[in-house]
Amino acid sequence: MAGVRVGNRIIGAESPVTVGWENLPKVEGGPFKRFFFTWFQPVTFFALLAFWYYAPNDIAKASTAIGIGIGFKVLLLVLEWVNPRYKSWQLTWKELVTDLFYVGLGYTVLRMVDGFIGDGVIIGWIQGQWNLDKFSWFTGLPLLLQAFLISFIFDFGQYWMHRGMHNWHPLWLTHAPHHFVTQLNINKGAVGNPVELFLIGLGIGGFFDFLPRAFLLAGTFGLTVSIYQHINVRFNTPNWWRFLFNTIEHHSVHHSRDYEATRSNYSGTWIIIDRMFGTCVDGEAEILGIEGGRRMSIRETMHYPFTQGWQAIKDKFGKRGGFAAPESAVPAE
Amino acid sequence: MTGATTQGLWQHPAPPITRMNLRYIDWIWHVRDSVPLPAGQSASEALDRIEPMLDQMDTTHERVGETITFTRKAPVPQDPLSTFEDGVLTIADTAQGKSLRYHLVSKALLFCFLLPVLFIGFGQLTLAVGEYQMAQAEAKKKAESKDKAKVQDSKKKDEAKVLELNPIDKMLGAPAPEKPKKDKDAERKPSATAAYVFSALFALLYVVGRFLEPWLVRRRFRARLTDA
Repeated sequence: MAGVRVGNRIIGAESPVTVGWENLPKVEGGPFKRFFFTWFQPVTFFALLAFWYYAPNDIAKASTAIGIGIGFKVLLLVLEWVNPRYKSWQLTWKELVTDLFYVGLGYTVLRMVDGFIGDGVIIGWIQGQWNLDKFSWFTGLPLLLQAFLISFIFDFGQYWMHRGMHNWHPLWLTHAPHHFVTQLNINKGAVGNPVELFLIGLGIGGFFDFLPRAFLLAGTFGLTVSIYQHINVRFNTPNWWRFLFNTIEHHSVHHSRDYEATRSNYSGTWIIIDRMFGTCVDGEAEILGIEGGRRMSIRETMHYPFTQGWQAIKDKFGKRGGFAAPESAVPAE
Repeated sequence: MTGATTQGLWQHPAPPITRMNLRYIDWIWHVRDSVPLPAGQSASEALDRIEPMLDQMDTTHERVGETITFTRKAPVPQDPLSTFEDGVLTIADTAQGKSLRYHLVSKALLFCFLLPVLFIGFGQLTLAVGEYQMAQAEAKKKAESKDKAKVQDSKKKDEAKVLELNPIDKMLGAPAPEKPKKDKDAERKPSATAAYVFSALFALLYVVGRFLEPWLVRRRFRARLTDA
């Protein structure tokens, strides 16, 4: 495979990656289907923004957001069934159970752990130590600007954490299990070692004060933009959207079996951050995973960072001496 | 030898007492069924058609006579038999003619069967931890109430800030923000609802999977045996 030059890098030399929007297939089918899958993303995005902007206070609350979130995810699962991007990514019963196990962990045990050592606790501790109140610089700004700041500040932190995971071995060991997925669908964002899910959820937004409605508006970026990074649906996504936001196309490149391609598209929502730092690759890939595309079991996902970390320490300080990273942990390092 | 391990499931039963006990519950993760061979199809031809289904990553399979055994650790989702890690397939002569008899073992089905219990446990853990946190908070509150300076300080903090919308938002008609509610105790109340919802979801998924997966496997075997 020759690959395609993108900046200083050759993308797709080890595994097929389609580079360039002009080379991607369009939605196929009748006029209604093409219309629906062309307009679905922008219409739901702006409709939900308008809803949260104008909803009365007794409706604009977290419980409503949870209800909308669940309903929207079920709808997206149906869309994955109706118009899959790739047949090879089609959800199976076993994948659904596995994915929901990780989603369930996030809603239960991880949330509980987060209550003890999460970013809210850390920030609260720092504020207590320095007798700091929240920085209320932003509460007077227009709501949509506040929502953008909440989303962008979090994503900016996530970008560097994610990029760090691909460049520093100890962090990579926590993130590697997530790269063993060989298909993408909306629940795949939850698949990974709990340590990684904890790290990627850390943010500094808690230092700042925003209006409650701005948080609900910011949630729209999560629900109607970043959720698409793992979806198995073919959309005719508008070019302005692809320029600003992360998409399934970008994220499939990041999950590709091509090593160089995995080192791109690190942001969760705002792909423009990748454009700012020169790590964006516009394109898509079907063949995903690492280590030849083998599946990582739930058990291995849970112990991988610790067993591989222990192996790396033994290799470095053991009798043989000299650092040699475990072979299985090399690909995306 | 991996093949021998799975063959044991089919051909070498465990001692009678253990075997009998397990038979009462192993339907949870074992699937036993058969598909009739098309008229005139030989055992060898049938297995020739089935065997390519097992040419998958991480899969070891062995064909001895009229029996195929296979095993793998973690089949990929693209695998047509991805729900089953071990299995024995054999051609049997019955009164109706030849048929493909199979015995498949699925850790995924067993895992899903056990998940409701795990999540009920998570729910109970959430409640226990929540109660512990509430007791801690109560104790802290009592200790602070003795310290007048701190009480005044916390009262100041509790005073709700007056939140105002930006003029642009006022002009566009966004509802004005309410004063934050003072009583945050209700928010802190631990809830196991999420854990119980997931528990019920996995129970439902198990029932669906226990019927769906054997049906799909049967359909795939039948298609392989009959397709031109």
